[in-house]
Amino acid sequence: MPEVSEISEAGHAFTGMLVEFGRELRDAGIGAGTGDVLAYCTAAASLDPADLTDLYWAGRTTLVTRKDQIATYDRVFRAFFLGIRYPVADFLKLAPSSPAQVQGVLQIPATEQTEGEPGEEAQLGLMASEAETLRHKSFAACTPEELAAVRRIMTRIKLTPPRRRTRRNVRGSRGRTPDMRRTVREAMRMHGEPAELYWRRRKVRLRPLILILDVSGSMADYSRHLLQFAYSAKRAASRVEVFCFGTRLTRVTRALDTRKPDEALRRAAQTVFDWEGGTRIGSSLESFVKNWGRRGLCRGGIVVICSDGLDRGDPAVLSAAMERLSRLCHRVVWLNPHKGEDQSFRPSTLGMMVAAPHIDLLLSGHDLHSLEELAALLPVLN
Amino acid sequence: MSSPKDVAELTATLRDRGYIADRGLATALFVAISLRRPILLEGEVGVGKTEVAKTLAAAFGRRLIRLQCYEGIDTNQALYEWDYARQMLYIRALSERQLADADAVDKLFGPKFLLERPLLDAVRAGDQAVLLIDEIDRADDEFEAFLLEILSDFQISIPEIGTVKAEQPPLVILTSNRTRELHDALKRRCLYHWIGYPSAEREVEIVLTRAPEVSELLTRKVVAAVHRLRELDLAKPPGVAETIDWAATLHFLGETDLEPEAAADTLGAVVKERDDLELVKDNLDAIMTGA
Repeated sequence: MPEVSEISEAGHAFTGMLVEFGRELRDAGIGAGTGDVLAYCTAAASLDPADLTDLYWAGRTTLVTRKDQIATYDRVFRAFFLGIRYPVADFLKLAPSSPAQVQGVLQIPATEQTEGEPGEEAQLGLMASEAETLRHKSFAACTPEELAAVRRIMTRIKLTPPRRRTRRNVRGSRGRTPDMRRTVREAMRMHGEPAELYWRRRKVRLRPLILILDVSGSMADYSRHLLQFAYSAKRAASRVEVFCFGTRLTRVTRALDTRKPDEALRRAAQTVFDWEGGTRIGSSLESFVKNWGRRGLCRGGIVVICSDGLDRGDPAVLSAAMERLSRLCHRVVWLNPHKGEDQSFRPSTLGMMVAAPHIDLLLSGHDLHSLEELAALLPVLN
Repeated sequence: MSSPKDVAELTATLRDRGYIADRGLATALFVAISLRRPILLEGEVGVGKTEVAKTLAAAFGRRLIRLQCYEGIDTNQALYEWDYARQMLYIRALSERQLADADAVDKLFGPKFLLERPLLDAVRAGDQAVLLIDEIDRADDEFEAFLLEILSDFQISIPEIGTVKAEQPPLVILTSNRTRELHDALKRRCLYHWIGYPSAEREVEIVLTRAPEVSELLTRKVVAAVHRLRELDLAKPPGVAETIDWAATLHFLGETDLEPEAAADTLGAVVKERDDLELVKDNLDAIMTGA
C-alpha cells in the first residue's frame, strides 16, 4: 500500500492540490475530515493521478458519505478541476482520457434534482436564490416568554410514543426463552449443578415519531408554535423526525438538532423555503411516502400531521398518499388547529374529508393544552 | 491472484465472472482493496450490491463470509457463542465419572465448545476472506456501534480465550438499502459508493451476461421497457435483478420479441406492487413502444 510519505517531491504539489480540493469541499458543506483527505491522497496515489476520471472517482468514494452530497461534490469537482479559476490543467498537464483499456469518459452527471433536500438550493442561480430568500421566515429571537414556553413544553409534555416489542432480548425475571449463558455461568458457581434457570425476555422500544408540519400561509399563526413543539419533541425522545411543507416537503430534523432553541428555530426557518406560501398537502405527503416512507423511515412509527387540510392540489393525490402512508406506518394522527375545543367538529375542508378515512386520531393542537392532550394519548396509541 | 494491479484489471476480472462493473464501482472497489478499507455500497434495490461481493470472492479465490443483518441481531449471532448445551452435558459427564482433571475447565472453554459466527470467522480468516455485511440498515443502531469497533481494529476479545486479531484485515463490503440513515461514525470508517441504475447499453450487456440464452432482440426491448418503467412514478421501480428476471421469464415462455400480451402476463416479474401494476397496465402500450 503506497503511503503518502512515499509520494515523491514532484507529487508534493499535487498532494497540496488535493488537500486544497478537500478544503473547497468542506466550504461547500461536505464534512471531509483530514483523515478522509489522507485516504483520498493515498487512493489517488494508487491510481493514475494524471487521469481525471480516476481523480473524480477516488474522491467520490473517499470523501462523499451520503448520496445527497454527490451533487455538491460534482459541482465542486467541476469548478475546481475543470474550471478556469484554478489553473489545474496547466499545472499538472492532466490527461483527461484514460488509457484505452478502461472504457468510460469522465461524465460528471448533471446535477441531480433531489427534491426537498437543502443541497439543491445551492445549485440555483443567484436570481433564483434571491427570490427564495424573500420567502424565508424571519424569526426574531425568541422572547423570554417564548423561551419559557418552550421550556415549559419540554418539561410538561413528555412526548412518549408507544412502545413495541423488538426482536432483541434482555435478561428478565420471567420470559419465554431460557438464558443459557447466565444459567451456565451460575451453574459454574455451584460446581456445575444447574440450580436455577434464568430467562430472557423481549425488549421493548419506543416507536419512531414523525412530525409533518404545515407551514403554509393558512397556518401562519401556528407554524412558529408547531416548530417549537417539534423542537421540544426532538429533545425529549430519541427517534423523532421532523418535516415541514407548504408547497413541497423539507426535512428539518438535522436543523433542529442543536441545544439552543433560538439557533434551532433559525436553522429550521432557513432550511424551509416555502414559508407561508400555498399548500399542496397531497404532493408533499406523496413525496414523503416516496422519498422517506418507502425506505422505512416511518415503518411501525407514529406519524403526526399538523395541518388545516386546506389543500390546493388534487384531492386524488392526497387520498392516494394518505392511503399509502396509513399502510406504511403504525398510526396516523392529524392535528387540525381549526378543530379547536369543538367536540362536534366535522372536517369541512375537502382535504380533511379526503384524508379522514386514513386518520386514526384527530386532535386540535392549537394551543399548549391540546398538545398536552396529544402527549397523554400518544403512549397508549397501540 | 490476490489483488488486482489496476482498475482495468479488476474490471476485466469481474467481467470474466459475469459481473459488469462501471468505472465508478470498479475504482471504488480497487481503492477499497488496495487501501484495505471497508466499503459501503448504497443503492436502489436490485442493482447488484450483494452480487459484487460474491463475484469478488470467487474471482480472487477468497472465502465469502456473509453476515445478513436483521432487526435484533446481537453480538451472539454476529461474533461467537459458547455451545451451552454441550458445555452442560460435558460438565455432567465429568462430574458423574469423577474425571475432573487439571485442564478440564480449559477444555470447557476451548475451541471445541466455541461456535464461530461470521465476524469471528472473518477476523480469523483475515485477507483470505471477503466479509459481506448485508443490509446493515436493517440492524439497529446498537449493533452499528459494535460494528464500528470491529471495523476499526479487526480484533475480537473473548474473555475465556484471549484476543483474536486479523494479521491482514479481510475485504469488507457493507450494503445498505437506505431504509434509515447510518451513523456518520460508521460511514467515516468506510469508503462510500452509490450504485445507480446502469445505462441502457450496460444493462443489455448485464442481461446478456447473466442470461445468455435470451435473444438479443428480446433483451434490448425488455431493457428499453424497463427504462421507461423507471421513468414512471412507481412506488418501487424495477432494479436490474428484475430486468434479468423478466427477460428470463419471457424466454422461458418461448417469446423472442416483446409482445404486449406476453408482457402483460409476465408483469409480475418486474412490477411488484398493486398500485404500480394498475398504473403500468394503463400505460402498457406506451411502455412497450416508447410512444
